[in-house]
Amino acid sequence: MSAPAPIAALSATDLRAGYGRGDDIVRGISLDQAPETILAVIGPNGSGKSSLVKTLAGLLDIRAGRVAVTGRDVTRETPAKRVAAGLAYVPQEANVFPNLTIGENLKLATEFLRGRAGVGPEQRERVLGLFPEIGARLKTRAGDLSGGQRQMLAFASALLANPEALLLDEPSAGLSPKIVGQTMEAIVRVRETGVTVLLVEQNVAAALDVADEAVVLVAGQVSLRASASDMKAADLGALFFAKVA
Amino acid sequence: MIAYLVTIAILVCVAALVGLALNLQWGQAGLVNFGVVGFVAIGAYAAALLTPQVGWLPAMIAAGALSAALSAGLALLSIRLEENYLAIVTLGFGEVVRLVILNEGWLTNGALGIPDIPRPFASLGESIGGDAVFIVFALGLLAIVFLALEGMARSPFGRALRAIRDDATVTSALGKNVFLLRVKAFAVGGAVMGVAGALHAYYLTYIDPSQFTPIVTAYAFMAVIAGGRGSNVGLLVGAGSIMALLEGTRFLKDVIPVIDGVQLSALRLGLIGAGIVLLLILRPQGLVPEPKRRAADVLPKAGGGR
Amino acid sequence: MAAQLFFNGLVTGLLIALPALALTIVFGVLKFANFAVGSMLTLGAYAAWVANVQLGLPLFGAAAIAALTVAGAGLLADQLAFERLRARGSITLLVASMGVSLVIENVCRFFFGNASRGFDVALSRPIRWEGIRINQEQITIAITVAVCLVLVDALLRFTPLGRAMRAVADNASLAAVRGVERRTIARLTWVLVGALLGLAGVLAGLDRAIDPLIGWNYQIPIFAAAILGGLGSPLGAVAGALVIGVAEEMSALVIPTNYRQVVSFSVILALLLFRANGLFGAKAARK
Ligand SMILES: Nc1ncnc2c1ncn2[C@@H]1O[C@H](COP(=O)(O)OP(=O)(O)OP(=O)(O)O)[C@@H](O)[C@H]1O
Ligand SMILES: [Mg+2]
Repeated sequence: MSAPAPIAALSATDLRAGYGRGDDIVRGISLDQAPETILAVIGPNGSGKSSLVKTLAGLLDIRAGRVAVTGRDVTRETPAKRVAAGLAYVPQEANVFPNLTIGENLKLATEFLRGRAGVGPEQRERVLGLFPEIGARLKTRAGDLSGGQRQMLAFASALLANPEALLLDEPSAGLSPKIVGQTMEAIVRVRETGVTVLLVEQNVAAALDVADEAVVLVAGQVSLRASASDMKAADLGALFFAKVA
Repeated sequence: MIAYLVTIAILVCVAALVGLALNLQWGQAGLVNFGVVGFVAIGAYAAALLTPQVGWLPAMIAAGALSAALSAGLALLSIRLEENYLAIVTLGFGEVVRLVILNEGWLTNGALGIPDIPRPFASLGESIGGDAVFIVFALGLLAIVFLALEGMARSPFGRALRAIRDDATVTSALGKNVFLLRVKAFAVGGAVMGVAGALHAYYLTYIDPSQFTPIVTAYAFMAVIAGGRGSNVGLLVGAGSIMALLEGTRFLKDVIPVIDGVQLSALRLGLIGAGIVLLLILRPQGLVPEPKRRAADVLPKAGGGR
Repeated sequence: MAAQLFFNGLVTGLLIALPALALTIVFGVLKFANFAVGSMLTLGAYAAWVANVQLGLPLFGAAAIAALTVAGAGLLADQLAFERLRARGSITLLVASMGVSLVIENVCRFFFGNASRGFDVALSRPIRWEGIRINQEQITIAITVAVCLVLVDALLRFTPLGRAMRAVADNASLAAVRGVERRTIARLTWVLVGALLGLAGVLAGLDRAIDPLIGWNYQIPIFAAAILGGLGSPLGAVAGALVIGVAEEMSALVIPTNYRQVVSFSVILALLLFRANGLFGAKAARK
């Protein structure tokens, strides 16, 4: 196996970050993710999963370390510039603009990304094709959507940026099992279009079903990285709670 | 020159009292009060009107009590409001006080003001020298209020206030009555502002509405920011340095002769504004930061000390 | 009499509508109550006065200069003060805006003194219509404000900038990860708000004498209007302004005119007590 490693779609090196003047919450995380893979990030509540993706997206100040998208260093870039560099993000909560209509949410997702390749009418057709019920209700206020529909809108908004890498923070939270299944299918389809997906999930079983690899985060650090199939066999309960104390 | 320094010292005392009051309300309890001047004015007018009738001590107590009562009343109505709304309600209160003073001439003599307010210990002043006696009086008053407020800051009441400021939800979950504590903080602050107004009236022996503009409020904010929100010692330093700065600008007139009186006062007020912003940016903790107290201090544990 | 007061109230309301809109937009997008609204309006009035009286420009050109001046002042205040304090929360920002307010007001006082000034405009006879006296200034105010409101509404609803401003108001960090540069939007917001306040200053200068406190006199009615409409709601601010304007003028029927300003204060207090969310929502009570 001596072929040169492909440039990682998403890479974090010794990343440290925290809120305000508080302690580090992300405590030295390094990740390299090969293109067109799905990496599941799992871990107990409060282990810093959301903080990690916020840091990658640029919403949390990086105190040390480096973030790169397809080899391009974006450590010092604003969140907006990172989207333009190909890194899209769907937050865990509050992931649509409730006082804007669906149509406006979708428009807003692309109109400040001029210059990003592949953002345009064709991409919009393609994405709305993935989520037909969104495209049918452009005049509805996003705040009036159901949880599942809102998740779809958030997903669609992120995809409109034609990202290289997509950060998803618990897309299945609060959804019924059937919708969770659909969401996971959608994630697989997205990967098939060439997008690299970093998937934070509480629903470990569902995440490992679709992921190629998985990392376990405990107290802001990576405590285990393995292929999804190996991870399924591991005793996650012991892993989750071993190092917390 | 000595007389001038005495004047400054007395003005610092008044400013420090107002600042201490705001430091309790805003610095420690986190409650914005943009109507500071209204409470000071109420105290000044109460003292001016009552002193000839009942003597200075009862009048001063009444000034503090009236200001405290109105402050508590306003707090009862509005303290639940989020800070942006509290700010405008208190600002409006200050304006209403100004309008009432201006328009209720039968009581306040309107724009003409009230002259010949008797000073405390006036007879003693005649034999020793009026300002010498008065400065002792002013410093004594400041010392008493300072010690009382400092004691309060260290008491469970003070700790609870700071806890509320830092996290109201958690504090109320700990069983504290957040609403009542806030109203109390506002009332005590109001009382001190009223007393400061009385001292102001006694010193000048003449008051009129033009002395009570929103600038008084701005001074107080600057003193609190300069001194470090929450720190009473810092507040004294803050009030002192502001007065030094302001009085220093008086001499600008000699340096830059083209400036007239209006320009000079504009310059001073502008400096206050710029000072507020600059200090917020450069010295977020103020000159003397609030002593660090841990969350555990709030809990009613055995010992309960700092 | 009542009809005349009502009409005057509508015009006063329109006058308040622009600054109330400015206040509510800053609150929505930048999340703090800008206590410098009044002084920015004052700055606009003086900028227009300089252009009109000292440089001899027609009022129309003077208004453009006023809008540009206040927009510049807003940008400067943002760059020097508000942006640096952004992370420190809304209390710090509102206290800072009070500081900015003092600076602006006293810059005006320093250069122009406390004397009252007026624009160089031809006096014209008021029109009478159905027994109501309508003067030229009132017509100018009404038309200008109406045009501004339509333009601002269109801007907010139909342009990318308007969408971005509404998106930032809804959820600033989500807007950032949708590609909206927060800094750019903040700056453009100050340009818009500054232009509105500059124009409001010109209109206020038509309505009354220009002195360093001209804006301060409107401060409480402006806040009352914006709060009545639910801070953060542009439509609400305009509706609130009309209500406040009419209430202030009509109050002359029942209370001495000296106490006119108390009306706005009472409206704020009553509203916050009985309907803590304004007419159009927005939370006023703290946690
Ligand atoms: N806005 C914030 N300010 C301060 N601390 C925060 C903030 N958000 C999260 N934290 C802290 O950071 C730590 C990690 O939180 P984070 O939300 O990243 O965990 P998580 O793994 O996503 O948890 P969950 O599974 O519940 O979503 C927690 O201790 C939390 O208290
Ligand atoms: Mg999370």
